[in-house]
Amino acid sequence: MVHLGENSKSTIIAKGICAGKSNGSYRGLVKIAKGAKNSRNFSQCDSLLMGDKCGSHTFPYIEVDNKSSQVEHEATTSKIGEDQIFYCNQRGIGTEEAVALIVNGYCKEVLNKLPMEFAVEAKKLLEISLEGSVG
Amino acid sequence: MLEIKNLKAQIEDKTILNGVNLKVNKGEVHAIMGPNGSGKSTLSSVIAGNEDYEVSSGSITYEGDDLLEMAPEERSHRGVFLSFQYPVEIPGLSVSNFIKTAINEKRKAFGQENISAKELLQLFKEKCELLNIDKGYLSRSLNEGFSGGEKKRNEIFQMAMMEPKLSILDETDSGLDIDALKIVANGVNSLKSSSNSIILITHYQRLLNYIVPDFVHILKDGKIVMSGDKSLAQKLEKEGYNFLN
Repeated sequence: MVHLGENSKSTIIAKGICAGKSNGSYRGLVKIAKGAKNSRNFSQCDSLLMGDKCGSHTFPYIEVDNKSSQVEHEATTSKIGEDQIFYCNQRGIGTEEAVALIVNGYCKEVLNKLPMEFAVEAKKLLEISLEGSVG
Repeated sequence: MLEIKNLKAQIEDKTILNGVNLKVNKGEVHAIMGPNGSGKSTLSSVIAGNEDYEVSSGSITYEGDDLLEMAPEERSHRGVFLSFQYPVEIPGLSVSNFIKTAINEKRKAFGQENISAKELLQLFKEKCELLNIDKGYLSRSLNEGFSGGEKKRNEIFQMAMMEPKLSILDETDSGLDIDALKIVANGVNSLKSSSNSIILITHYQRLLNYIVPDFVHILKDGKIVMSGDKSLAQKLEKEGYNFLN
């Protein structure tokens, strides 16, 4: 994200999901140029871990060349809890389906911003790639 | 409907249930009371099928079948419902979507079609009125940012939507103010019928003023040490658990 104009604003929401033995990294540059006075950026990096052999890392790069700008960065890591899965199970929802619900809920903030056709596709894609990842 | 025989259960080598016997027939309301740490919540978890607890001996029969052989979701499909003492939050998943999925999974298990949007909306409307719930709440994230009372009311709302045969209410009264307690109790009473059964787990007699039990059991050190009718709960309220000694 490069800010050039005065009073420009931007938001970055990154959501990562790591399953199995995977490791996910977020690297993002936010650059605020000298002329971009009073500009603002907010970045949020969330990651969701499935299982105990995966990991997630966040490397924010922030370059700010003027003093009137505000740049914020937040990062969170969460896990699909056994208690969440059991709660779904108790309501008759099987474990695979429960994971899909939890993951979709987690991605909602991003999926909501996508055009309709694309969001449907992305949702399907998530379901396919997570198949069998709960064990 | 439900028969528990000499049930022993443990969590990580620590024995919590030490020979529980309980029989619940259709249409009955049973209250289970007992001091902290007596095993009340463990009993409800074992009936619901929480795998954190290991059953070392004894049996649970539900409608003539071995309940312990069934997966938690199968128990739910068969009509076992647990109202959680601490309901879990799932961010981004709406209450309506969660309930819709739960209803459809149950229908799928019995080879039925998914519920139609019209039917679902009708059901939502009916049950929201029953429990005095604002409809806007259906689109909120499941339990996320709910107050203690809202979480408990949400559990009873799900119970109303799923029409279970055996409902276990684990300390549903804790965290409810007196008005919310009345609403929840009225909801439960209107769901009560001659074909379903309810197990109430509670510390206080207060709830039993509103939902009148047919039987009251006292659980202590993992065993049911005394059973009686509702007067037992009143006696307990007056004298505390000390009279058991």
